[in-house]
Amino acid sequence: MRLLKNLIKYSLLTVCSFSATAGCSSPVGSSRAASTRTIVFKHGKIFGDSGPLKTLLREFEVNNPGVSVLDEELPSSTDEQHQFYVINLQGESASFDVFALDVIWISEFARAGWLRNLSDSLPVAAREDFFSATIDAVTYREQIYALPWVIGAGLLYYRKDLLEKYGFAPPQSWTDVVAAASQITAKESNLHGFVWQGKQYEGLVCNSLEYLWTFGGKVIEDGHSVINSKENINALKMMRSMIYDFHITPEFVTTLTEEPSRRLFGAGRALFMRNWPYAWSLFEQTSSPVYNKVGVTTIPRGPAGESYATLGGWHLGVNKYSRSPELAQKLARFLTSAYAAKKLALGTGHEPTRRSLYKDPELLRKHPFKRKLKDIFEKARPRPVTPYYMMISQVMQREFSAAISRIKTPQHALVDAHDQIEHILAIEKQ
Amino acid sequence: MKRFGLKYLYLLPAMLVLMLVTIYPLVHVVALSLHRKLLIFDISRFVGFANFEFMLGDSRFWTALGNTAYFTLVSVALELAIGLGIALLLNRSFKGRGLMRSVVLLPWAIPTVVSAKMWEWIYNADYGVLNYLLNIDINWLGSPAWALNAAVLMDVWKTTPFVAILLLAALQDIPDDLYRAARVDGAGTLKILQRITLPMILPMIWVVVIFRTLDAFRVFDAVYVLTGGGPAGSSETLSIYAYNLLFQTLQFGYGSAVALSVFICVGLITLVLIRAMRRSEW
Repeated sequence: MRLLKNLIKYSLLTVCSFSATAGCSSPVGSSRAASTRTIVFKHGKIFGDSGPLKTLLREFEVNNPGVSVLDEELPSSTDEQHQFYVINLQGESASFDVFALDVIWISEFARAGWLRNLSDSLPVAAREDFFSATIDAVTYREQIYALPWVIGAGLLYYRKDLLEKYGFAPPQSWTDVVAAASQITAKESNLHGFVWQGKQYEGLVCNSLEYLWTFGGKVIEDGHSVINSKENINALKMMRSMIYDFHITPEFVTTLTEEPSRRLFGAGRALFMRNWPYAWSLFEQTSSPVYNKVGVTTIPRGPAGESYATLGGWHLGVNKYSRSPELAQKLARFLTSAYAAKKLALGTGHEPTRRSLYKDPELLRKHPFKRKLKDIFEKARPRPVTPYYMMISQVMQREFSAAISRIKTPQHALVDAHDQIEHILAIEKQ
Repeated sequence: MKRFGLKYLYLLPAMLVLMLVTIYPLVHVVALSLHRKLLIFDISRFVGFANFEFMLGDSRFWTALGNTAYFTLVSVALELAIGLGIALLLNRSFKGRGLMRSVVLLPWAIPTVVSAKMWEWIYNADYGVLNYLLNIDINWLGSPAWALNAAVLMDVWKTTPFVAILLLAALQDIPDDLYRAARVDGAGTLKILQRITLPMILPMIWVVVIFRTLDAFRVFDAVYVLTGGGPAGSSETLSIYAYNLLFQTLQFGYGSAVALSVFICVGLITLVLIRAMRRSEW
């Protein structure tokens, strides 16, 4: 019965590994003194150096004797983080106090009543310093529900060494991207022209909206869907052509998220990449194969003549069910202060939400490219601002994915998206 | 009369626990499925069978149902065929048989999410080992033609050992006398397989088919990690759709209706299979 023995052994192994993972998620504070109060700060994976954040948290502990801060990381996938928060907040969990919210969740969570009102931490006069798009994102029914922490927006990364070698200027428009990528990939071996995020997930929506906007299209106007427009059809056609006509984007773009595309570009395997600002500091490490070979510019312009980047970013909210809400709010305020924002910007490469920091000489000396970002952030566009965004995004993820993987024609995909979005928006009218 | 009442009193604790952990959640889901319930918008009202009516016209539901049925049919058939082959081989005596039996179990011992992550790398279209070994250029996880099949292949790799081990256990219960008697009567290998081996392990085959079908029909983790249901929902199964409705968009009413449809399908499949099993024994 060796067989049975092995069977039992493996089952036990599986059970043990499960209980080991379960052990990780239980609070570790029990061994500390009873008088210590623990604040749990939950956030997604920090891209780049997480050291500065840890230093700030220790500093907060020193300034607030008797308080210990636990720093807990969730996976980098935005959808998985959303799920974690929904399950826990729905269950009125007090297992975390301060947490980082994606811009698109804030009105949803505020409406559900899961966030503490933080308006008193951000008086009207203090709002001037923040990019107006971030203030809009954290405001729900004229109250503030999260403090602006990190801002992001889509950027175009390019290999300046290769562009120089073949005599191209940094691209200004989508047609420039196509021209440079077609010619250079024809001559260089083992090089993809243009990589972006095309897997069926939120990132695909961020990418696609930049095409829609630069082609002059929109998704929602005055409470109605306007997604099925001539401009949007042309925008999706352009995305498709990148893959199947110009062959500058590999077909497996339909599996790419931020990190896989960043790794490809970071290994010197791509000429252009659309990504968020976080990637820059990783390319600027001396150990990176593309060290000193990367340039950054705005999202290319389309027929509409303007460049638009999708607004991203993370803002700090306080769990309504927290057992130490004042202390939690204090931590959120500290982490979003100009002082902390500068530390994170210097050390981790985070993009601060405060305009004044983009004039800070020390910061600009260390990260000269942040000077360029200010104008991009001033003009960044939020994704459709509606409490129904998560539902509408599900529709867009699916239909945009259908268009770029050639399951549907762009027109067909947009007609289908239009019908479903109208159906969702009708909830409000009932 | 008193003893009669006492009997039920003794049963009560067990019944209460059972009610609490199985009946209550089930009833709750059924109740939810009859409501239009959007958690964050304070919308919660009774709508009768409106959710199920909407489901009938929901193309995403039918795609997911089709994907789930395809996944179940193909993966269970392949697992049974390959598992039977492996079990027959492992039932012979050869050097290192004990080691082989343990090694074969390995894929099954790895948690699904871990193996799905592993396969995600294997399938990587740019530098994955599968394309390299086969010397081809297939976009395994990113093309509508391959994504679901890639998930099936991973599931077959992972679960075949489970099937093989169960069948091997049944094979070992067949007395050697039967084989010897058959040889004396002049039966060939094929005849023995057909007349002795297969009939003897038939009950176990049915157990395997029922277990695997129920598991495969509820598949979530493998597909979710590999493709997330994409591209364009071409690999989305019912469980993933229900998950998206429930936890991504918080539509508790309609999400429960879809989850309930999985439960009903699984129930029907079980009934049909058990009936078929009873009939096939004689």
